[in-house]
Amino acid sequence: MRTSAKLAFIGDPNAGKSTCIAAISDIPPVVTDVGCTDDLADVKQTTTAALDYGEVGLGEQGRLLLYGLPCQARFRFMFDVIREGLLGIVLLVDASAPHGLRGLEETLETYVRELREFPFVLAPNKSPGADDALKSRCLDLLRGHRLVAPICTVDARRKADIVRLAELIFLMLDLGGRAPASGDLVWA
Amino acid sequence: MGLITREQESCTQELRRLVGKGGYAGAMLTLRDGRPFAQEVRRDVDSGKFAAMSSSLVALGDTVLRELSAGALDHVLVDGAGGKLVITKAPDCSGMLILAVLTLGDMRLGLALGQVEACAVLISDILRPRLAANRD
Repeated sequence: MRTSAKLAFIGDPNAGKSTCIAAISDIPPVVTDVGCTDDLADVKQTTTAALDYGEVGLGEQGRLLLYGLPCQARFRFMFDVIREGLLGIVLLVDASAPHGLRGLEETLETYVRELREFPFVLAPNKSPGADDALKSRCLDLLRGHRLVAPICTVDARRKADIVRLAELIFLMLDLGGRAPASGDLVWA
Repeated sequence: MGLITREQESCTQELRRLVGKGGYAGAMLTLRDGRPFAQEVRRDVDSGKFAAMSSSLVALGDTVLRELSAGALDHVLVDGAGGKLVITKAPDCSGMLILAVLTLGDMRLGLALGQVEACAVLISDILRPRLAANRD
């Protein structure tokens, strides 16, 4: 029986990584926030300097460990800290960002190798509407990096939305023949 | 944050003095969100990564101590076969600056801790007036 598996949340500043973890974690999330000292301070007061951490019970299948990684490329090394036992990645996008999808482009450039290695779901958050156009632009960016993934608009505050993302990754693992040794993972 | 080159140069001089004492491979002063502020590194090191890793270790240290109700962080020590990494915050600077120092393999821990702490105080003396002025 698998005792624990990991899910990573990455994405641009303010994309909703910490909010996702808080929405589904069984425990109060552990955070490593520090005050911003650069232009990001115009958008938000704090940023993650190491990782956010949460946990979800999956019944007899063990626990799903949730890791939110810093948005800045300089912290990319944190991915290697959590790589062992990682099932998949939730790639969040701030769909309301004034600079459009530039944040997604930067995230793709930083994590393209990891996104080719692990199943992932692209999840635009805070979408103001017009989902089809947004998804189309996201798809173009993915194609530009030779990546393929489901695109699933979410409200990061809604547990049901985040559970759906996790279930999608479980399904991809199952269909891709990379299911964990315990068999199909399901949300308990 | 308004910290200008003059303070960065003064801090770099303090780092240079510390590393010049012998037994050190390098010293990095980083902002709390992982951006380099001043450095004196005598080894082929990616300074951006060094700064970011130091910031992450302090953030993790703060978090672990908070979760364990073990008080405020004094320093982080990563003790390796080829050197020791000592990381501490510049005192009385609102946690804004982090000093990370990498020793050579044969450096005595007590000596390193004392010298790094003294350097952090000197750096704080340089930066405190500017930080206070920015707050006012």
